Amino acid sequence: MRSLRPFIVLLLWLVAGVAVAAPAPQVVTIGVLAFLGAERSLSEWAPTRAALERALPGHSFELIPLDIAGTRRAVANGDIDFLITNPGNYVELEAAYGVSRIATLDGGDAVASVIFTRADRADLGGLDDLKGASFMAVDRNAFGGFQVAWRELVDRRIDPFTDLRLRFSGFPMDQVVQAVGEGSADAGAVRACLLERMAAEGRIRLADFKLLHQARSPEVDCLLSSRVYPDWPFAKLAGTPPALAKQVATALLAMEPPAGQPGWTVPLDYQSVHELMRTLQIGPYAELGQPTLVQLLRRYWHWLLVVAAGLAWGAIHLWRVEHLVRLRTAELELALAERQRAEERERLQRQEMDHVSRLSILGEMAGNLAHELNQPLAAITNYADGCALRLEKGSVQRDELLDTTHRIAEQAKRAGRIIQRIRSFVRKRDSVRVPFDLSEAVREAADFFEGQARRRGVPMTLRLEEGLPPVDGDRIQVQQVVLNLLQNAVEAMDDTPPRQRALRVTTLRRPGGVAVWVEDRGCGLSAAARDKLFEPYFTTKPEGIGLGLALSRSIIEAHGGRLWADENDDRGITMKATLPAAQEKHG
Amino acid sequence: MTGEPTVFVVDDDEAMRDSLQWLLRSVGLAVDCFASAEAFLAAYDPRRPGCLVLDVRMPGMSGLELQQRLADQGSALPVIVITGHGDVPMAVRAMKAGAIDFIEKPFNNQALLERVGAAVRASTASLAEQAQAREIRARLEALTPREREVAWAVAAGKQNKAIAFELGISPKTVEVHRHNAMEKMGAATAADLARMLTLSGRLE
Repeated sequence: MRSLRPFIVLLLWLVAGVAVAAPAPQVVTIGVLAFLGAERSLSEWAPTRAALERALPGHSFELIPLDIAGTRRAVANGDIDFLITNPGNYVELEAAYGVSRIATLDGGDAVASVIFTRADRADLGGLDDLKGASFMAVDRNAFGGFQVAWRELVDRRIDPFTDLRLRFSGFPMDQVVQAVGEGSADAGAVRACLLERMAAEGRIRLADFKLLHQARSPEVDCLLSSRVYPDWPFAKLAGTPPALAKQVATALLAMEPPAGQPGWTVPLDYQSVHELMRTLQIGPYAELGQPTLVQLLRRYWHWLLVVAAGLAWGAIHLWRVEHLVRLRTAELELALAERQRAEERERLQRQEMDHVSRLSILGEMAGNLAHELNQPLAAITNYADGCALRLEKGSVQRDELLDTTHRIAEQAKRAGRIIQRIRSFVRKRDSVRVPFDLSEAVREAADFFEGQARRRGVPMTLRLEEGLPPVDGDRIQVQQVVLNLLQNAVEAMDDTPPRQRALRVTTLRRPGGVAVWVEDRGCGLSAAARDKLFEPYFTTKPEGIGLGLALSRSIIEAHGGRLWADENDDRGITMKATLPAAQEKHG
Repeated sequence: MTGEPTVFVVDDDEAMRDSLQWLLRSVGLAVDCFASAEAFLAAYDPRRPGCLVLDVRMPGMSGLELQQRLADQGSALPVIVITGHGDVPMAVRAMKAGAIDFIEKPFNNQALLERVGAAVRASTASLAEQAQAREIRARLEALTPREREVAWAVAAGKQNKAIAFELGISPKTVEVHRHNAMEKMGAATAADLARMLTLSGRLE
C-alpha cells in the first residue's frame, strides 16, 4: 500500500535516530508497590527519584507502579533494576528471587497496626471479645494495614478468617476507619498513625475510637496494637549491576528528604518480618500452610494410630486367614491322601477277602475238583491203554484208532476247561463290568458245580429263562455268588433223606432286572441263623470261615441288587438274588 | 445155560463208559454199557456170565443200592466198584455189600483188566459150575429111587456086598442098579460119581 510506505520509513528513521542519538541517559527502572494507585505512588516517590537523578547524572530513573502480582512478575522477568515494596512482599521476593535491600525507609509512619473499635462499644473490651464480630481491614496483602494485625490476632489464637467476619475494604485505608466509625463494621485494623493523621485533618475525633489492644513502643508516638516492624526497603534485584546498586545506595543514604517526608537509612534487619510470615504461614512460609508429614503426624497421630492399628489388624487377620487356609488346605490334602490310602487299603482288603473267600469255597470244592478232573483223566488213560493194547496185538483199525485219539484230545480239553474255571475263580482280579446274560452265567456255574452235587447225592435241576435282559457287572463275581449258594444249599441237605434231596436253580425276570433263586430241601434256618445269616464270620459249618454269604451279599449289592433268604413252605430255604438290568447306553 | 461172558459197565459219565468199553474190548471182552443202575437192572439176565463194573456215585439209584438189589435177587454176578479219589468209606461200604473189588480213578488199567478178567473167569466158572450141578441134579432125578440109593452108597465108597446087605437086596441086583445109575449119570468110575454127587450137594 502506498500510504504505509512513508510510515515505515519514518519508523525506521526514528529508530535509527534514537539508536544513533548521542549518549542517551541510561534508564534505571524502579518498581514500586502502588496500593493507592499509580499517580499517588509516583508522587510519593518523586523526591527519591529526583534525588537519584541528581546523584547519578547520566541516568534517568523511571518509577514503575506495580501491584503485588506485578512486583513478582517484574522481579521474575528481570524487567526492573530496583524495587520499593512493603516488608512482607520484600521478604517473599527475597526468599524467592534473591532481591536484597540496599536501604530502608526512614521516618515514615511506623509499620505497625492498630486494632480498634468505636469507643461506645461496651461489648468489645478486648481482642477476645471479637469472636464472631465483623472485622474490616484494607487488603490481605497490606503488611502494616492487615498482616501485622493478623499476627497479633493469631498470637491470641484468633483466626480472623474463621473466627471473625472478615471483610477487606480496599485502598485507601481511610475506608476502614469510616466503616468502623459508622458501625458497618464492629472493629477494624489499620496502619498505625492513620487515626492520628485523620484526626489531625479533622476527619475524625480520636475519642470516638478505642483500641482493642494496647501495645507500646518507645520509638512510636501513635497508638499501637502491635509490634513495630522495619519500614519499606529499597531493594536491588539479583541481576542488578553491583556498581549501579552501590551508587544508588550511596545516593539514597545521602538524600535529604523534604520536610515531613521519609528518607532512607541503612538496610534494617527484617527478621521480625520473617517471623511474622512464618507465624502466619504466608509468603515464603506459605508451604507451611500445606501440612508437612511431620505436622500431620503430630496433629492426627491418634487417628493414624487407629488406622495403623486397623491396618495392622487387617494385615494380621489376612495373614492369619491365609495361614489357616494354608493349614486347612494342607490338612485337607492330608485327609484326602489319607482317605485315598484308606480306600486303597479297603479295596485291597476286599480283594483279599474276596480271594480268601474264594479260596475257602475252593477248598470246600477241592474234593469235588479232584473228582472232576479224574473223569477226563481216567477216560484218557482208558483210551490210551486201549490203543496200546490193540497196537501190541496188531488188531488195529485205522478209523477206530483215529476216532479214539480225537476222544483223548477231547477229554484233555475237558480237563483243561475245568482247570481254567478254577484258575479264573481263584485268581485275584479287579472287577470287570461287562453286560452278560445271567442265565448263561448261572448255567456255567451250575456245570462247574454239577459234580459236587452228584457227589453229595443231590440232584440239581435248572430252570433258566432264555432271553433275559443283560446285567451290567462282573460275571465271575456273580458266578462266585451262585456257587456259594449252591454249596450252602447242598451242605444244608446232608441230613436230608436222599429221596427228598433236591436242588433247584431258577433264573427269571424281575421288574427292573433279573433274579436267580437257589432252592434247597435242607434243614432251614435257626433263629440265630436267620438274624446273622449275612454277618461276616458267622457260620454253621464246623470248618467254615463264614465269609461266603457276607461276601456274596456285598458283591450283589455292589451290582445294585439284593440278596436275601426266604424259607420254603415245606422245608429248606430259597436264596434269592436280584440284579438290575444294564442301562441302555445312550448314543 | 451160559453164554459169552460180558462186562457190564454202569457209569453216568459218557466218557467213562465209552473209554472203558474201548479198553475192555482191546482185550477181547464183550462190553455192554448202561448210563444208570435202573437201565442195567431192566436188561439184566442173571444167567449171563460176566462182571459188573459199577461207578459207586451216581444220581438216582446209587451203586450201593444196585448191589443191594442184586443181592436180593440172589445174583452171583461179581461186582467191581469204581471209586473216586479218596473215597475210601464208600469203598468199604461197597465191599461189605458184596463187591469183590474196588478200583480208584484214575485207574491202573493193568490192574483193572486183570481183575475184570479174573472176575469174568470166576463168573464163568461159577455159572458153569451151577449149570453142571443143575445137570447132575436133573440126571439124579431121572434115577429110580433104588438106583439113587445105590448111587449114593457107591459114592460113599461102599462095596457091593455091603450095599446089598444094607438095602436087603441081592448083590446081583446091586450090580444091576449100579450099572444103570452109572450110565444114567454118565460117570465112569465111582470117583466120578462121588464128585458129581458132591457137586449136586452144593445146590442143597
